[in-house]
Amino acid sequence: MSSHREAPEISKDPVADSTDVYAFRSPANPGNVVLIANFIPLQKPDSGPNFFEFGDDVLYEIHVSNKGTAQADISYQFKFKTKVRNDRTFLYNTGQINNIDDESWNRPQSYSVKRVKGNDTTTLGSNLPCPPVNVGKRSTPDYAKLGEQAVHQLPRGRKVFAGQRADAFWVDLGSIFDLGALRPFNEAHLIPMGAMDGINSVQSFNVHTIAIEVPIDELTRDGSTPSDPMSATSTIGVWATASRRTSRVFNKKTGTYRDFGKWRQVSRLGNPLFNEVVVPMAEKDLWNSREPSGDSKYQKFVYKPELAGLLPVLYPGVFPNLEAYDKRRADLHAILLTGIPEGVVPGFQNYTGPVPSDMLRLNVAIPPSKDPNPLGLVGGDAAGFPNGRRLEDNVTTIELRAIAGLTIPLVDPSYTPDDAAAAVEDGSEYTNSPLLGEFPYLGLPGGGYQTEPGTTQAS
Amino acid sequence: MSETSRRNVIAVAGAGAAVGAAALMGGGAASAASRPSRISAQEPLVAYVEDHRSDRVTLMIGEDEVVVRDRDLVTRLLAAMGGK
Repeated sequence: MSSHREAPEISKDPVADSTDVYAFRSPANPGNVVLIANFIPLQKPDSGPNFFEFGDDVLYEIHVSNKGTAQADISYQFKFKTKVRNDRTFLYNTGQINNIDDESWNRPQSYSVKRVKGNDTTTLGSNLPCPPVNVGKRSTPDYAKLGEQAVHQLPRGRKVFAGQRADAFWVDLGSIFDLGALRPFNEAHLIPMGAMDGINSVQSFNVHTIAIEVPIDELTRDGSTPSDPMSATSTIGVWATASRRTSRVFNKKTGTYRDFGKWRQVSRLGNPLFNEVVVPMAEKDLWNSREPSGDSKYQKFVYKPELAGLLPVLYPGVFPNLEAYDKRRADLHAILLTGIPEGVVPGFQNYTGPVPSDMLRLNVAIPPSKDPNPLGLVGGDAAGFPNGRRLEDNVTTIELRAIAGLTIPLVDPSYTPDDAAAAVEDGSEYTNSPLLGEFPYLGLPGGGYQTEPGTTQAS
Repeated sequence: MSETSRRNVIAVAGAGAAVGAAALMGGGAASAASRPSRISAQEPLVAYVEDHRSDRVTLMIGEDEVVVRDRDLVTRLLAAMGGK
């Protein structure tokens, strides 16, 4: 998946596991940028009595690089605090929760937001309430209202939200990780089966979202709101991290853990699927702990991605041109590690300089699309991935087609993509909770009571 | 970590070293050496020796960390574990 359980260590620590990062100009307030980082993957809504929540022992951050160094020039830090109102009940809620400050919510969570720029740290908000999770029809009868109450206004027209949402990512997990199968192309697979539609494995799961909307001029290197897409100041790099303290000691007296030492990064996410399918398994944990500015170590996996070598093997005879291509994948290097330089796509660039670094690059001078194309830049819509990432962008198909060779001609006009490169997809569709038309844009999370079991077959 | 708190942490390490040495000597010297300094840390501490052959001990208090280079301290910490 985009980055759900993408590395061995972080898959055992879901509270700190970043799943997706989005960055786009606000369609409602085009002078602002919306930054979203999701954590805690694959939340089954009916997971009481201890429902999902952010970690009080985790430091969540969204970083922005704007000087071409791939280092964080601005960071937004989020720290959470949870309390138990009634220590004599096992219940998450002792009655209906109609407002986020209702006493009936027994385990309220709140948070602080800080903005770090150089040596300056500014507290943008503190004691900001999260919403409860969507327990069910009786406990949280008007969840939309609870979500609206959890959108907080901050100084300078900023907004922030932190709480449970429906995951907006969609993909056919069951098929892709079963030897690279794509159900619509089952008949062409090395182990053939009948073709069928893809299955959206993520549609009924929730995540925990941190979303912040800030003015564009807060993110650019010169404090401007650029209007020229070709200006070097117009592109920012974005990624999210989660950090834990160096040491954790179990306190037998309390049955809880106590943390010691500095914050250490344990999860990182910029471009979707980078650590997931580009970085080898043996290196994924270390990758999660490193900074984007050190990603030159991983560029060999981008120049020669494993998946591009597997496609011709798994689909014999379908990708002959890709199989014969033995040059470095400069197209993927540009898309994932440097941004697309001027001269490749007419009127567009999101180049952040020569430092190879996995960041989501957003050219903030490109206005939001009135009619977004889920295929983003590949589909002729420069306001979409890999120019930032919108919730509706079909990043799985975009990256699958890019890896299959569709984007090689951008940098090597002598190459002719295989016919399949423009058609390859996992066949799944967005069947998740409907997206909202306003901040924080992610759909309402599924409710526990409303959840029905899926199907499981051993053979 | 501020310089003040760094000095505090190092003082703690020094006090620990003194405790070990004084314990070997026994008697009143031990009680004098183990008396908390005015600038001693007043909260739980974790000490981590990553390489038992080195002279490095990482001390962690709150969100702070400091590496103390003291081979004698490493030796006594290892000895306290009884050669396990």
